[in-house]
Amino acid sequence: MIEQTKNSTFTIRRSTFLSSVWAIVWKDLQIEKHTRQIISVMIMFSLVTVIMFNFALEANLAAARQVATGLLWATILLAGTLGLNRSLGIERENQTIEAILMAPIERSAIYLGKVISTTLFTLILEAVLVLLFLVFFNKPFWRPQVLLILFLGTVGYIAAGVLITSMTIQTRTREVLLPVLLLPLSLPLVLPASMAVASYMFPQLPTWGEVQSMIMLIIIYDLLMLSIGFVTYHYIVES
Amino acid sequence: MELTRLNRNVKFLNWAAFITISIALLIVFFYAPTERTMGNVQRIFYFHVGAAWVGAVAFFVALVAGINYLRRPTKKWDTTAVASVEIGLVFLTMAIVAGSVWGKPAWNTWWEWSPRLTTITIAWLTYAAYFMLRGALEDEEKRGRFSAVYVIVAFVTIIISYLSIRILRDIHPVVIGGTAESAQGASEGLQEFSAGLESTRMIISLNASVIAFSFLYAAWLANRIRLQRLMDEARLLKMRVSARLQGEG
Repeated sequence: MIEQTKNSTFTIRRSTFLSSVWAIVWKDLQIEKHTRQIISVMIMFSLVTVIMFNFALEANLAAARQVATGLLWATILLAGTLGLNRSLGIERENQTIEAILMAPIERSAIYLGKVISTTLFTLILEAVLVLLFLVFFNKPFWRPQVLLILFLGTVGYIAAGVLITSMTIQTRTREVLLPVLLLPLSLPLVLPASMAVASYMFPQLPTWGEVQSMIMLIIIYDLLMLSIGFVTYHYIVES
Repeated sequence: MELTRLNRNVKFLNWAAFITISIALLIVFFYAPTERTMGNVQRIFYFHVGAAWVGAVAFFVALVAGINYLRRPTKKWDTTAVASVEIGLVFLTMAIVAGSVWGKPAWNTWWEWSPRLTTITIAWLTYAAYFMLRGALEDEEKRGRFSAVYVIVAFVTIIISYLSIRILRDIHPVVIGGTAESAQGASEGLQEFSAGLESTRMIISLNASVIAFSFLYAAWLANRIRLQRLMDEARLLKMRVSARLQGEG
């Protein structure tokens, strides 16, 4: 009997947890559907950045091709900071964060919801970027392995990003502080990620042994960041 | 008020650090053998590893202090974390500079963007940003909480840096906890590590310098924590004086 009650409360708790995560994601998607401010800003920004890079490397297209994977990641990171600032800034501006915190849901569910929604926005951005890079640099960015690495890298980056942005948004300097904190923190992820993407840029596919270590590093980073964020998030949003 | 004088622990650590560092200096310059291929410049190795070691320890101490602060938010843990990150940064800078000076004769370049050097630069940047975060927060309680979380997150860069140099190929040798393969890479720089009396003397010198640096770290940490307490107390007194003056005026 007791066992059963325990079991059922556990199921209830799990289902409420998942439904509150889903509620946060759904809310963000709805807001984005109506305003379209996060994705459009990110895409416009990365367009400008890519074109700027092209100007900088115009004299030497071969060199540009060499560094294309690095450029791709740099663009994602920079546009990502914009998206993160916007996604969490909205909550502060409209005081929705107060309402969410008042709701009887776990803080880690808020974290997870925010990570999922921001990751989705960034993935849409990346879809556009992959097309752009395909056109500009004529390299096989469409390979499923490349897309998978992009996905894994994005999860880790956003997992760290939501945590850091939730802090910086509450500081005096607000938006300015985010890149200073987040970019160094995400470099250990981007380093293996861009190396892994780069090894898929040749006509011949690399063997698993060649990319295994880099992908392992990305996954370890993802897991570490997600679990730290999961555990410590309530220390950050508490006021 | 008991803080105005050096307490006994601080004094003991100061002397211990002074003595061990002096001994380590003597050992490094007179007892340690001259390396066959690189000559005297290899003596940098002892300082380089000692400083890097303390850097890692300092960041680990900061991590533990951060976790403790989140579990029980007392001023003590916040102070320990700040002090440790600050000292860790100084030692990391020392390790980087010493490594660079050594890299010039050994690799014929001051700097190389190899995974090891890149990740350590990243770690340096991450911990430097810690002070930016602290500077941007006025509320003391919030500052403690946020910087405790940040110091935990920042340690991920140390973990990834530790892993990446063991997984990815690198010009830099792995001294502590390396695999057989990387040890082979290390042998290019430190061939004498594997054989005979020479290598024993090198290992003794290395250990002496690591111990000395550890004492130096402990002493600095104790002094830094004391300084922080004095600063806090001074601020409190200032506040009380101004409150008093306002009350009179």
